[in-house]
Amino acid sequence: MIQLIISLLVGVALLAFLYFFVRRSKPSAEGSAQRLREARQTLDSLQFGLLPNDLVHRIFAREDLEYILSSAPSDVQLLFLSERKDIALGWVRRVRGAILELVRFHRGHARLYAQLSLATETRLALNFAGLLALCRMLQVAVYLRGPYAAPGMVRTVAATAARVCNISEQSLQFLKVKPLDPLNDTPSSHGASV
Amino acid sequence: MGIYTQIVWLGGLLVEVVILVRSVLGRSLAKYPLFYLYIGSVFASSMALYVIAIVSPSLRGLLYWPKQYVTLFLGCGVIFEVSRHVFAHRVTLDRIARWTMLVTFGAIFLSVAVQAFVLPHWNVTTNTADLERDLRIAQAIVLMTILLLSGYYGIGIGKNIKGMILGFGIYVGASVFSLTLRLFFGTRFDPAFGVIQTTAYLVALSIWMVALWSYEPELVEKPPSVSAGEYQVLAGRTREILGSINEHLDRTVPR
Repeated sequence: MIQLIISLLVGVALLAFLYFFVRRSKPSAEGSAQRLREARQTLDSLQFGLLPNDLVHRIFAREDLEYILSSAPSDVQLLFLSERKDIALGWVRRVRGAILELVRFHRGHARLYAQLSLATETRLALNFAGLLALCRMLQVAVYLRGPYAAPGMVRTVAATAARVCNISEQSLQFLKVKPLDPLNDTPSSHGASV
Repeated sequence: MGIYTQIVWLGGLLVEVVILVRSVLGRSLAKYPLFYLYIGSVFASSMALYVIAIVSPSLRGLLYWPKQYVTLFLGCGVIFEVSRHVFAHRVTLDRIARWTMLVTFGAIFLSVAVQAFVLPHWNVTTNTADLERDLRIAQAIVLMTILLLSGYYGIGIGKNIKGMILGFGIYVGASVFSLTLRLFFGTRFDPAFGVIQTTAYLVALSIWMVALWSYEPELVEKPPSVSAGEYQVLAGRTREILGSINEHLDRTVPR
């Protein structure tokens, strides 16, 4: 009976794969200069706009809450919590959007290279998947229990996102404007290492 | 053989002839040799079985399964052909697909060897449908691996190979279903089994005929080059966006 179920599941899975294969749209020109610029922009906005420690700390600062709770009337407290919740949700949404954009770019860009590192690709895929799931969980937690519900999760999201950024940055290294240093100007540093 | 099955069988032979003729006229024979070897062998064996079914119907039953094994083996060549073209410029992905093929087929042949060695009454000739189902499952797994990898990396697939995948996938999927249900329901399922197999194969042939009517080379993509000047424009725009985000945060959060 188990054999029967497994066999039928394989058949169903194959037909589902074929269905999505037929519906698959033509690949966009991921390798175009425009796409590369967008990817670099996304990466920069993540690294310098959304992930810096002081910004993350500011959004989720517990001392702000403590200050408001100790010195402001209840309607101000409610307003503060509501505003901070919106900011926290906005932050998670933007981080998630940027990660998705990087995933899309990475897949599209990696396909242009003959030799991929299986280990790096697997690590990236797992990191991306974990990060996206974490962002979703954080969104739910913030939505249900407010911006101070899961401080540990916020730190994990920020740390994992920073790690993913570092790996993605290696792929986009050739877009960086480097200072002139003839001694370190090795040809290998200009290629995307995916 | 029922009238429907007979009509579909004859229709299949006709479509096979059309595919083979078009492969010569469209000059795609040399591009997809393994695929056309598969079609040619199916055509030859089906034709032979058709004649045998008229001359000596009892012999047809004996020859059906050996013919299935030969075409099953050559069907693996079709998957090999698909992987070769889809991952033509992606060495690593092609290697993954080949390893999957090696591991899945290896596991099945190993299990056959173990069963033949451990079970004294187990005989490959009396478990043909069982083995064919397992091999079809292996083909399905390899096809899914190719589809997963090409989908994940958004690899563009040309019309010819797309048709090859779709047609073969439909046939393999239908075979997995019909062989599994046949093993479960026994000989009661035989009439439906014949109809499903022949219909799925005719559908696959029709897809192949349309998709391989003319040769269409696969798309080759090359990494682009981007100048540092373009990056300066980007950096400026990034700073602008960051500025607006920070401004928004400043308005909401005391810093």
